[in-house]
Amino acid sequence: MRPMLRPARTAIALGVAVATAAGSGAQAASRGGAAARPRPAHAARVMGVRDEGSLHYVSDDATLIVDEGGLSGTLPGRSRVYFTYNGSPNVSARFVIHAAGGAVEGRASCLLHNPNSPTPSFRGALQITGGSGRYAHARGSGELFGIFHRRGYGLIVQAIGRLRY
Amino acid sequence: MAAATALCVSLFPAGAWGTQLTSISARFSPERLGAPTALSLGFEVHTPDGSLPSALTGLSFRYPPNLGIGTSGLGLATCSPAKLSYYGPKVCPANSIMGSGSALAKFQVSPEVSEETAGIALVAGPSQNGYVNLLISATGTFPVAARIVMSALLLPGRLQFSVPLVPGVPEGPDVAVVSVKATIGGNLTYYERKHGRRVAYRPQGIKLPRHCPRGGFHFDATFSFLDGTQAQAQTVVRCPRG
Repeated sequence: MRPMLRPARTAIALGVAVATAAGSGAQAASRGGAAARPRPAHAARVMGVRDEGSLHYVSDDATLIVDEGGLSGTLPGRSRVYFTYNGSPNVSARFVIHAAGGAVEGRASCLLHNPNSPTPSFRGALQITGGSGRYAHARGSGELFGIFHRRGYGLIVQAIGRLRY
Repeated sequence: MAAATALCVSLFPAGAWGTQLTSISARFSPERLGAPTALSLGFEVHTPDGSLPSALTGLSFRYPPNLGIGTSGLGLATCSPAKLSYYGPKVCPANSIMGSGSALAKFQVSPEVSEETAGIALVAGPSQNGYVNLLISATGTFPVAARIVMSALLLPGRLQFSVPLVPGVPEGPDVAVVSVKATIGGNLTYYERKHGRRVAYRPQGIKLPRHCPRGGFHFDATFSFLDGTQAQAQTVVRCPRG
């Protein structure tokens, strides 16, 4: 049976906020003619993200487990997670989400509970550190929840946070 | 075989010049980088004149932090220390058994020194502060039927043992554990539910990293004894060739 992840926090409202300086820039362009044509306005988007997925084992290097799988939610795509567990309850993960138009990269530091369970759970803070394509300047933060399958090394993950790109 | 056979390097007494001499051993089986393995650890304690060593009270065993003990898939269930102490490892869940071994203890029966061999079971106990708690049950049958349970906290790169004192004969010195050999992993049978059926499988065991650390896999141990002395020992498992 697939375990249910129940984050304590409710989902962050979704939405895209577009901060524009385009209005004033367009007026300046009409006044100055073609020579003073402004560069396209930089649109900073902020997006509430709530994604989850079931990832399967790909490879490992002793304390490092590499998993891949599809993610569904506000930023659907394919994810690759590098999960490190060396016996300490402080586990860490690096991840890449390949979404439409680009990739989002980040890392998370979590606390693992019930290490003797076949499926210990973990929870902690995540940071979005960059990306590529339309997410080249991605930044953000949030929380990562998950379950680690100690038998088959699979992961069930859920990420909730805000993405700025 | 020679490539990764443990080199038993002897002691380096610390603090007060200990009257105990110590050595440790370590071995992987199989010895293949990037593959699951069983880790055999051992130690010996003796005195220069062959007399009864002071009782061991603590042991800190450091292992390479890049060994995948946490990701071994061993210890998927737990056994309570009380249950283990009273009934032995046979009543513990199969998925809590993490390994086995043997120990040799010596005790004074004036003026003679007697010894007893005990079977060891390594069992996963309830975790402490998020760390895996390894319970070590040593069961002896002759000349004295007794069982002691000690615990070891599985920290990153370190196994921290707490060793309880075992009284010897009345007014005599405590029992001294002089030799232990134990294997984490190995030939274990675990069970899982698949399509409603209980299916047996063999847990993977400890994962070796794909690359050997410079100079091999280093292990070292610090022993603490009841007489207040400490001793250290270290060993290296050479990198497997090819």
